[in-house]
Amino acid sequence: MKLSAIRPVALLLARELIITALLLLGVSLVVFIVLYLSPGDPFSQLIATQQATGPSQPKTSDALQTFSAFQQYLIWLTHLLQGDFGASLRTGLPVLNEIVRVGINTLYLTIGSMLVTLLVAVPVALSSARRGMTMLNWPFTMFAYIISALPVFWLGYVVIYIFLHKFNLFPIIFGFSNNQKLSWLYFLLPIFVLGIGNGTLSEIVRYLREEMGRVLAEDYIRIARAKGASIWKHAFKEGFLLPVTEIIAAKIPFILGGAVVVEQVFNWPGMGRMAWQAAQDRDYPVIMGIAIMAALIVRCGSLLQRVVSIVVNPRASRT
Amino acid sequence: MSILKIEDLHTYFYSKSKQAFIRSVDGVSLQIAAGETLGIVGESGSGKSITALSIMGLIGAEPGVIAGKIGFKTNGIQKNLLQDINEYVKLSKQDHRIMAVKKKAKEWHRHTDRVMKKIRGKEIAMIFQDPKASMNPFITIGRQISEAVRLNTPIKNRREAKEKALYWLEQVKIDSARLRFNNYPYGLSGGMCQRAMIAMALASEPALLIADEPTTGLDATIQSKIVDLMAELKSVLGITMMLISHDIDVIKRLCDRVAVMYGGTVLEYGSARDILSADVETKFEDQINREFLHPYTSALLASVPSEDHVKGNKPLQAIEGDVLDTINIPRGCRFYRRCNRVNAAIEDKCQTVEPQLFQTGNQHQIRCWLYAA
Repeated sequence: MKLSAIRPVALLLARELIITALLLLGVSLVVFIVLYLSPGDPFSQLIATQQATGPSQPKTSDALQTFSAFQQYLIWLTHLLQGDFGASLRTGLPVLNEIVRVGINTLYLTIGSMLVTLLVAVPVALSSARRGMTMLNWPFTMFAYIISALPVFWLGYVVIYIFLHKFNLFPIIFGFSNNQKLSWLYFLLPIFVLGIGNGTLSEIVRYLREEMGRVLAEDYIRIARAKGASIWKHAFKEGFLLPVTEIIAAKIPFILGGAVVVEQVFNWPGMGRMAWQAAQDRDYPVIMGIAIMAALIVRCGSLLQRVVSIVVNPRASRT
Repeated sequence: MSILKIEDLHTYFYSKSKQAFIRSVDGVSLQIAAGETLGIVGESGSGKSITALSIMGLIGAEPGVIAGKIGFKTNGIQKNLLQDINEYVKLSKQDHRIMAVKKKAKEWHRHTDRVMKKIRGKEIAMIFQDPKASMNPFITIGRQISEAVRLNTPIKNRREAKEKALYWLEQVKIDSARLRFNNYPYGLSGGMCQRAMIAMALASEPALLIADEPTTGLDATIQSKIVDLMAELKSVLGITMMLISHDIDVIKRLCDRVAVMYGGTVLEYGSARDILSADVETKFEDQINREFLHPYTSALLASVPSEDHVKGNKPLQAIEGDVLDTINIPRGCRFYRRCNRVNAAIEDKCQTVEPQLFQTGNQHQIRCWLYAA
């Protein structure tokens, strides 16, 4: 885009990479300690659910217990540094492959829901920033506030109830055969539920309305009007791009958290459901892997926001 | 030939909490001929800027109401910029009192945008005060100027527009214009920014330039340089200008005609030489020629520090009282309460009847009962 922005962006990336590495280390350590302190272990869970007794299980359990907790963590860490996330205790499959496989589904869900949120929030926010509350955008704003206050799992069940039981419209995704027409529609339901119900809708409406309203009142927008130029073009960077990237970066953890619930409700085979399952099974390698991945995604979001703000804002790129 | 002819302009803002109109501009009539510079002087709150914004059609978001006629002549076609504007405003009256104002803001906006589309920027350009806040901080000044070129002149090609923008940057005496072209506003000083603003306004090649306090907020040396620049541009390019300022020295240097505004109306209107010229001032210091001017104007002039004040340690004269409250405008003369030249013969009239503009000399009008024929 601009040559002058390349150097600061490169500097930022280098700095952020170091911070990210340290952060991931911290996240893994905290998660490990929490898991270590939590009661139960994977094998007692397996035994409890399967009621299967065999001579092999106590043996592996013994093998694990020959190492201290700290040693276990170091072993896991050295494997991780070699790109090995370990294998699931439950299925025996490599964790990384599994996470990537289901991660794609979560990506569809979260990015799709983010687009839905923006598609609803942006027009409402911009029109009320421009004209104030009018008869047209007032109901939409109220709708955004109320819907954001509803818990997402409740919304999910209501939607399922209406669409599946009342109208008998969509079978639950992935649970049934997909040979019906309009199978792509099945994907949209959870995306819409997460997009509208994850609580970021009202935040984006409010934040974008305030920021855009502030920018539209700036002197330079009046100059743009006096010059005959489009006010949206002049207000775009400060009034739209910066606040939107800012709030999305800040809300990624919430969207991921909402995804866990929505995946559970809609039987969507994503990372959230996998994390839920792994937590119930005390499947330590999977939990650790997902925690690392989630932290990485959140970091990427905030990194993107920093890059945008540096590229857009000439004052930020001076250093 | 006058380019701009304002007739009986009223711009009111309805205050919901006070249930009354703030009469910011209350019956202003002005004319600007081609090549002429009209100066508008007055204290803060006298309606100078609102007059300018009314001309530009930038009264919008607020509950503003406009009435009157703004005739603007382009390519020989006279156009009333305020045509049909009041169809979008509804006043609900009760016992002759206005209880509420309903304005279809969206339609109002659309209407002014439609009327002003060919005029705003293209025919009338505007320079505002506070240059640093007036440039978009996210776009280089060069791009902002070439945007004006491409929007408002026949030049549409990017490279030609850039050349034209550079030409204007050189015209306003920005040194190393090519380097400055790629600067963002934060990298420029206030004076530089104001030069860039002037370049941006001139780049549209307007028929009329409205400068709203172009020197306010700059320090004194930069102020005088900007005034020098504007004087030079005026003589070289022959621009028609409406200059709004509360700085009488700026008006004196640049203007051909002057309107003195107070409380939303014009109190005195005439040639700059008659009203502000140095000899009148010195004469009136000696109390000789005072009666040439409106009491407000003479008080204004007396409050400007001159050489005598500095040398002779004379105290500066201030005008007693406060600026007129434009919600409760008194029945008689707006300046009556602060006037120091009321005499017994006219006092009754001053209190009860508002004077009209009386012709006193060649194109010199004064709104004061002292000059009633």
